[in-house]
Amino acid sequence: MQYELRTQVIEPPRKTFTHLVERYGDRPASRYEEGSIGIQPKENFHYRPLWDPAHDIYDEAFSAFRLTDPYSFTDPRQYYYAPYVTSRAAMADAVASTLDYLDKRDLLSRMPDAWSALMGELLVPLRHYESGAQMVSCDIARFGFGTTITQCAAYAAFDRIGNAQAVSRIGIALDGGTAALLGEAKTRWVEDAPLQGLRRCMEELFLEKDWGKALIRLDVLDRLVYGLFFGHLDDAAIDAGAGSYSLFAQHQASWFTDQRKWVDALYKAWVADPETGAANKALLVATTTEALAAARAAIAPLAARADELVGAGAAAHVEATATTVRDTVAALTA
Amino acid sequence: MTIAPKAPRRLTMKQRYEALTRDLDWEPSYVERSDVFPHTEFEGIKIHDWSKWEDPFRLTVDSYTKYQAEKDKRLYAVLDGFAQSQGHLSLTEASYLNAMKLFIQGVTPLEYAAHRNFAYLARHLDGPGPRFAALCQSIDEMRHTQTEIHTLSNYNKYYGGFHNYLEQYDRVWYLSVPKSFFDDALSAGPFEFLIAIGFSFEYLLTNLLFVPFMSGASFNGDLPTMTFGFSAQSDESRHMTLGLEAIKFLLEQDEANVPIVQAWIDKWFWRGYRVTALVAQMLDYMLPRKVMSWKEAFELYFEEQMLGGLFQDLAFYGIRPPMHVDDAIAEKEILSHQVYWTLYQFSHAAAFTTTVPDAGAQKWLSENYTETFDQLYKPLWDKEAKNIEAGGRHFARGLPQLCQVCQVPMLFTEPGDPTTLCQRESVYNGEKFQTCSDGCQWIFEREPEKYVQAWLPVHQIYQGNCGGPTVPDVLTWYGIQDGDGGEYKGSVDDRNWQKWHDAADHSNIGSEG
Repeated sequence: MQYELRTQVIEPPRKTFTHLVERYGDRPASRYEEGSIGIQPKENFHYRPLWDPAHDIYDEAFSAFRLTDPYSFTDPRQYYYAPYVTSRAAMADAVASTLDYLDKRDLLSRMPDAWSALMGELLVPLRHYESGAQMVSCDIARFGFGTTITQCAAYAAFDRIGNAQAVSRIGIALDGGTAALLGEAKTRWVEDAPLQGLRRCMEELFLEKDWGKALIRLDVLDRLVYGLFFGHLDDAAIDAGAGSYSLFAQHQASWFTDQRKWVDALYKAWVADPETGAANKALLVATTTEALAAARAAIAPLAARADELVGAGAAAHVEATATTVRDTVAALTA
Repeated sequence: MTIAPKAPRRLTMKQRYEALTRDLDWEPSYVERSDVFPHTEFEGIKIHDWSKWEDPFRLTVDSYTKYQAEKDKRLYAVLDGFAQSQGHLSLTEASYLNAMKLFIQGVTPLEYAAHRNFAYLARHLDGPGPRFAALCQSIDEMRHTQTEIHTLSNYNKYYGGFHNYLEQYDRVWYLSVPKSFFDDALSAGPFEFLIAIGFSFEYLLTNLLFVPFMSGASFNGDLPTMTFGFSAQSDESRHMTLGLEAIKFLLEQDEANVPIVQAWIDKWFWRGYRVTALVAQMLDYMLPRKVMSWKEAFELYFEEQMLGGLFQDLAFYGIRPPMHVDDAIAEKEILSHQVYWTLYQFSHAAAFTTTVPDAGAQKWLSENYTETFDQLYKPLWDKEAKNIEAGGRHFARGLPQLCQVCQVPMLFTEPGDPTTLCQRESVYNGEKFQTCSDGCQWIFEREPEKYVQAWLPVHQIYQGNCGGPTVPDVLTWYGIQDGDGGEYKGSVDDRNWQKWHDAADHSNIGSEG
């Protein structure tokens, strides 16, 4: 049956779901809000996990970081699934067109040898770093508390495998279309001295049970790794005539800018919490300080090797970034 | 300068895929492997070679995002168009939405639970292949959670029963059926979860859950739900493939896995089958325009496709059909009637409405259930029709005993005897526990230490944990508002529906909330 009702205006009895009316008042909710706020079950779990009977299925106690209201944090990017995949489809397109361009003009094989060596020795093995970051982010997605946080972590986990694949694709391209370089990169990741600090940090990170601390430890590593490879060396590559390095690096750099938006917002929410803020601040400083010490020691040999290859002041840059991270956290928690 | 083209040394698709996914791993040497993956041993499953895992998805991140973004663009366009043109008024009837109320209350939260626990697998399975597959499914399940909420959000604005679905999932008596089912899986180890959800639920029972809902939507003018269902279908087929791959992988890795997997199939078939009881009554009673009977759906999707197809293949690995499957087959003639009759009597405490099936519906039920409807269930409705004529629409006053395992009220009857209630009793640590069937009793006695933990809504009400001792106290605690439950005829939804259709010529009409 068809009704001709197009001109009809019906005042709806309610504008959105009860939990959103209680939080935001009776106004239409955004799709982000509908799909994120309060979605995680709160109470009356039936059974305790067999692998961890001390906790409930979802349990605030999986981290020492607490929010009085877990939904005081929202993703500044307002990503629910649809805008997330739309954004990532566009990013993947951009990476693909860069790779096509590099391939078409044979730009990778025309890079200065030192920069090709840097990519093969240090950059391509980072696909395993990304793969490790995927696992850490998945743990946050499962054990974090509150859908707004865990949703960000789940997308971040998927991003990390995407990053690993992008790095692998540049590895395939560097080698003219085979996976030989990827195989070498795996051996380097496991055996080469300059990479061992980073690998050790990641393996130790797998054992971090507190998802909040894991997030910070990964973020600290990321800030040094991304700052070096996709910020500092990107610049240096342009000066050194290795523009193809930069063409690739820009995509990773812009992903990292996007990633840090939610991480920063979460730090701010932790610190701003009226009840738990003080404890969160102390934890944030302590965790960052400890993570920075480990990350600096881990990345120093890698930066030193980069300097041997391309002489770009990488070691000094890592130290400078570490100082910036420390100062930023100090400013946030002052 | 001219550029000489290089001789291509391209990877095959398979090699490229493997390089981009399977190879992204390493053997830890700074920490113990068993500390990195501490959850994959306690269930007794033996995996010798993770690389034997066949990737069911074969997707890379770029192809995944491109494909999914296209699908979502189309879906949200339909949702927007439907909302703008008051599409809800072209449903067969407002009572159709009872099926969708059950969906958002009882199914959407399960998608979310699946999302979180596939993230657990994406961290805790030892092999990079299955980790990536689980990660894809994890974010797919988030998609389903959100697309379902967004699809049904428009109905929530105009109709009762949708607005408090999240809190109700945690609290309301009949929703403890799906919740306890998924909590059971979430609290299990990674391999049991893979069999419970990846295989038993996604592969064995998903057709019984989703096909009826989506066909019901299409038969009753619900374009958004139908579109959502189609859009989810390509994700679901990947999930089903993952489930099938999971079971084959476990069975091929070690013969010692076979009895463990068999016991999980036995448990999760029955657990899942009990959840689909809600679907059985939906198909036979809630849809104004019927799609197919529960009996027909069960015969087609379960008996023909699963028992006749899948289990023939699994026999090769030493797997037999699920224990207690004969009881399920025998129940197909009576299941929906018994469940709806119970929901009918308790809908004053539910967030959906019920009503006596009208003459047309009863005729359809007689034709589809020739062995049982006229003999056993029509007399109940005839009697109820007389009650209603006398002004006495019947609601049950007491609270039902719930099964300790499936948490459905103890409404099922003895195998082969549809007039005698089935009740099983087990003793654990000196305490008695009731179950509704041999299947649930077997599940209880296999893991009593788990099932004694169950949060049973009726027990909780009696213990004073649900807002107070009276029915209105409990309904307030459930967040149930006027118009959410009870009798459909004369309900807020019914009255609004009549008014909106009567007033189709007017340009501005209100509604009662």
